Amino acid sequence: MSMSQAELEALHIDHEVDGMGEVCPHTLNIALAALKKAQSGEIVVESTDHSIATKTVPAAVQMNGIADVLGIVESNGTYHIYMKKK
Amino acid sequence: MEVNGLLFTLEALMIACIFGFIYGFLLQKADFCFVASFRDWVSVRDTRVGKGMLVLMATAVLGWGIALTFGMGQASVAHIWSLDIGLTNLLGGFLFGIGMTIAGSCASGALYRAGMGYIQFWIVILAMLVGNVLFAYVYDPYAIDYVLEPLTWTDGITLYDVLPIPYLLLSALIVSLILVPTLLRFGWHGFWHGVKNTFQDFKDGNMLTKSHWDIRFVGFVMGVAATAQFVLLSSISITGPETRIAGTILSFIIGEEHILNNLYFSTLFAQHPTVGLGPEEFLVIFVIVGAFVSALLSKSFKIRVPRLNRLPYPIIGGLLMGIASRIAPGCNIANVVAGVGGLSVHSFIAMLGMACGIFVVTAYVFKMPIMLFQKDPFKM
Repeated sequence: MSMSQAELEALHIDHEVDGMGEVCPHTLNIALAALKKAQSGEIVVESTDHSIATKTVPAAVQMNGIADVLGIVESNGTYHIYMKKK
Repeated sequence: MEVNGLLFTLEALMIACIFGFIYGFLLQKADFCFVASFRDWVSVRDTRVGKGMLVLMATAVLGWGIALTFGMGQASVAHIWSLDIGLTNLLGGFLFGIGMTIAGSCASGALYRAGMGYIQFWIVILAMLVGNVLFAYVYDPYAIDYVLEPLTWTDGITLYDVLPIPYLLLSALIVSLILVPTLLRFGWHGFWHGVKNTFQDFKDGNMLTKSHWDIRFVGFVMGVAATAQFVLLSSISITGPETRIAGTILSFIIGEEHILNNLYFSTLFAQHPTVGLGPEEFLVIFVIVGAFVSALLSKSFKIRVPRLNRLPYPIIGGLLMGIASRIAPGCNIANVVAGVGGLSVHSFIAMLGMACGIFVVTAYVFKMPIMLFQKDPFKM
């Protein structure tokens, strides 16, 4: 599932987590901590400036059936990873 | 002044600074991370960084083959970085792999991220320097008879020296070990599509201010740069020069004589006119400068202070990397680029060790959060 930037930015965000300045694997740990708090169907967005996390976080949560990745928005070197908890 | 082939001139110093700057700039532009190349494949089957590393290795192997065949500049089999072979390579590589996975970066990754403003990686570098010094002062006098020599099997070997195959043909054969499986997996069309995609990032806008370049493109350019460095100056390495930087800093505190009286430090400074910084050490420092400039241009420089609960990771990981890089010897850059480029057997063993170390930490430690997540009764 991949949504357009406009669609993603229009979503209601339930949990926003700050992964700025963190590198793998802590970027994933931060996302997992937020997903743990979230209820099924809620939207979790992680902000990160670590480009590698834009591959590892989505792959890890999808591979393990934790969340669907709705898309990633990039702006001036900051990435926002949109996830919907299963 | 020339000592054992390594030039100590202003010209050599400037060339080294330029190469360091280029590496730092390129590493930052692609977020080139040797840990991620294997860790991400083990943990989430992501191959993006791994592809960049394969391109870098293939380019370096072919570059070294061309440089040796045509006898370009300093390039000769005698100048290939080839060290003693033994369990040291495997053990050092294994511990280095564990250290860099815990620290969250390899030796080169710590440098470019330090240039991006990550305080965490300044701590990794500092811990590595402390690890280097610890090794030197444990080795002489306590471990001199128990590590390195007893674990060594034989003198260094490069396949260029022992195999009766022309240099260029041998390097092409090694590169085909990477290319053939790639072609079998993706076909000619897929391969060509991948090559074209490598340049996608450069279609619009100013390349210098872009925050991200394709990692395969960067791998290729780094391989070319490493070959040019081999031809013009010396093989590329990070942790050897870092140990000399640590020794130089320490010499200001305890005196130059104490450093030269230590067998390990005196061996490392054997090619230097005195205890101090040479071209290779300036190259390492300029990797940080190159990354800093690259990050400034793309507006991704920012002082990033680590959370207190993260501090054990850079300290323990960095210390382990510092010690392990002396046992292996060498870091990811020296072994993966200079060692593999020169087809040095000790580097292939060290790389195997590093892969095992990364695998162990990734598979059994960093998968824990996901395992714990899945056991959470409130997950659903």
